Parts: sequence; structure tokens; C-alpha cells
Amino acid sequence: MKIDPGLDGKVAIVTGGSRGIGRAIVLMLAGEGCDVTFFYRGNSDAAAEVVASGDGRAKGEQVDVRDTAACAAAVERVAERCGRIDILVNNAGIIRDNQLAALEDDDVTDVLSTNVGGVFNVTRAVVPHMIVQRAGRIINLSSVSATKGGRGQTNYAASKGAVEAFTRALAVELASRKINVNAVAPGVIDTEMSQDVRELAGDTIKAKILLKRFGTPEDVACAVWFLASAYASYVTGEVLHVDGGFKME
Amino acid sequence: MVEAPIAQDEINAVFPKVAETMADALGCDVEDIKPNVSLIEGLDAESIDFLDMVFRLERAFKIKIPRGKIVENARGDLPEAEFEQKGIVTEKGMAQLRTYLSEVPADRFKTPMKVVDIPRLFTPETFCKLVIRAQREQPAAA
Repeated sequence: MKIDPGLDGKVAIVTGGSRGIGRAIVLMLAGEGCDVTFFYRGNSDAAAEVVASGDGRAKGEQVDVRDTAACAAAVERVAERCGRIDILVNNAGIIRDNQLAALEDDDVTDVLSTNVGGVFNVTRAVVPHMIVQRAGRIINLSSVSATKGGRGQTNYAASKGAVEAFTRALAVELASRKINVNAVAPGVIDTEMSQDVRELAGDTIKAKILLKRFGTPEDVACAVWFLASAYASYVTGEVLHVDGGFKME
Repeated sequence: MVEAPIAQDEINAVFPKVAETMADALGCDVEDIKPNVSLIEGLDAESIDFLDMVFRLERAFKIKIPRGKIVENARGDLPEAEFEQKGIVTEKGMAQLRTYLSEVPADRFKTPMKVVDIPRLFTPETFCKLVIRAQREQPAAA
């Protein structure tokens, strides 16, 4: 039996899509035939590279997900152009790791306003379209930090814990409209964002990962692909861990 | 600013499209959408259905209806403390509600009324008036 993943022709929005995990998600969905609009905050060169690699199906929009009005306007532009929005991947996120006592106010507010506020802003703009369509997939990027304590990550862990709670609550709210809401929780992934952690304690961390390697952005993109596809039509309110077994140790 | 009264003709003009849109949102026959039927008790609408109706009406009429403002609008100029106390609508508040929701049959205004139960009063005509108010607030097309 072969099941069509059902992604060809779907309209997707991916936040934080110019680098790292977001870039891999954009390229994977575009490769499957989705019309993908990705949001990026500032790196225009990286965004241009993603557009160039996206088989003509990836478009970049410079949007700061902390800006409610900018998110609403960008989502409306996608809806106007494409007539619908089928998939939302809330991937934009930042880290400002430090011991709690050493965190500045900005370290806390920047992480929460991007990682949690951004999810609210973009999702609030997208959901009306999905409610009317009576269909949609929302996939939020969480982290192993939401469930596994990590030194210097109180701000980041709190933000990702919030994303997981948000995911479950929204899944309940939108189930009657056939909108599935799930999260993917990556472990330590080989990206620019985790570079400091890997350089500082790479061997120690790797020793605790059951599969003895860091993940790749594509490992995470595959999980997003699954949750966006027809294969996951009966999955909602879940957190899919993509961490090589890191959380088990 | 005092709002100009909404004439029955205005309501009649938008009602067919409102009814069609509401029937789509609720998955019922358009014939079931009577102007004064209670959306919750008569048509089994849930809170998500209200949002669905608002989104569809915005598209159908090319208007913007402020989110979550329906109850707030019903309060009019009355300060919140005078409109409700501990979640129960005051006497003044009830008078304001009767004026704002003039389309709702009088016997449905039961006291004491909880603020959270105000949507139980809403009817398709309530949404017709929402549409008309939104149309009035919209800048005229050039």
C-alpha cells in the first residue's frame, strides 16, 4: 500500500526559515510541491539562498514574529496570493543561555517574546483561515529542553514548555475544525544556534545521546514533514521527540 | 458618540447573506437560520462557531469585525464596574443589553444574568447588526 503524503500544492508558512532547522523544513516542503512562504528576521543573504534552492516554490518575507501587526499583514498577503493556508510551522526561536542569576531582563523578554509571543502572533493570524477551510496543520518547534533540565536554559526551557502547553490547548480548541496541532521537540541539532553548546560540552552531551550523534536539520524536517502529511491525519496534541534518545538519559 | 439607529430595512438587506454564511459555519440548512433564533440554544452553536461565523462574515462582506468585542460593544459607554459586578450583569447593564440587543425577545433576558451567558442571547439578527456597524465604520470606497 502506498499513501500519497498529500503535500503537493499545499500552501505553507514557516517562520524562522532562512537558516538551520527552518531552512531544512522550507526546502523539504518545497521539494514535496508545497508553495512555501518563510519568514526571516534579518539575514537577507541566507534568505536569498533558501529562495534560490527552493525549486521556485519558496518565498521569503522579512517579518519579525514579535511584531503582531507585521505577522498579521504577512499572513494576509499569503492568503491573498494563494487563497488558503494549509500548513503553519512555528519554528522561529532564539537562545540566550546563561545561569538564571546572570540573566538580564532582555535575555528573558527577548526569548519569551520570540519563542512564545511569535507563536501566538503568527498562529492567531493563520487560524481564522484554517477554521473557515475546516482543515489545517500547525506544527510548533519545541525542544528537548522543555522536558529535560539543562543548566543555563531557564528562559529557553520555559519558552519551550509554554510552546508544548500551547500545542495541547490549541489542539483541543481546533479539533472540531479538523485542524491538527502538534509539536516537534528536537534534541541537540547541528546548527549555528547550538554551536556554542556543542563547542563547550559536545563530547559530554554526545555521550548522553543514545544514538551517539548530533541530529541534523533534516532529521527534524522529516518529523515536520510527517506531521504535515496525510500520514499524520489522526495525530493531534502530540509532541514528537527527535533527539536520538537524549531525553532518556 | 451616539450610534444612529439601525433600521429594519438595513437588517433585511443583509440578512439573506448573513443567514447563508451562518448556515455554512454551522453546517445547517439556511432555512433553519431565523432572524431571532438563539444561536446557542436553538442552533447548538459553540464558542468556536462564533469565531467561524465572524471570519466568514468578514470575508463575505469584506469588513473587519473586532475580535472578542461583541460583548464589550454590548456594554456601550457604560463603565465595566457599572455594567457588571462579580460576573453578574447589573440592572443598569441589563437595561443597556436590552437596548443593544433590541432584536432579542424580552423573555430571554433572565436575571440574574452572568456576563459569560450574554452570548446565549445572540441571534442571527445580532450578527446582521454587527455587519451593519462594521460597514458603517469602514471608510467609503474611493
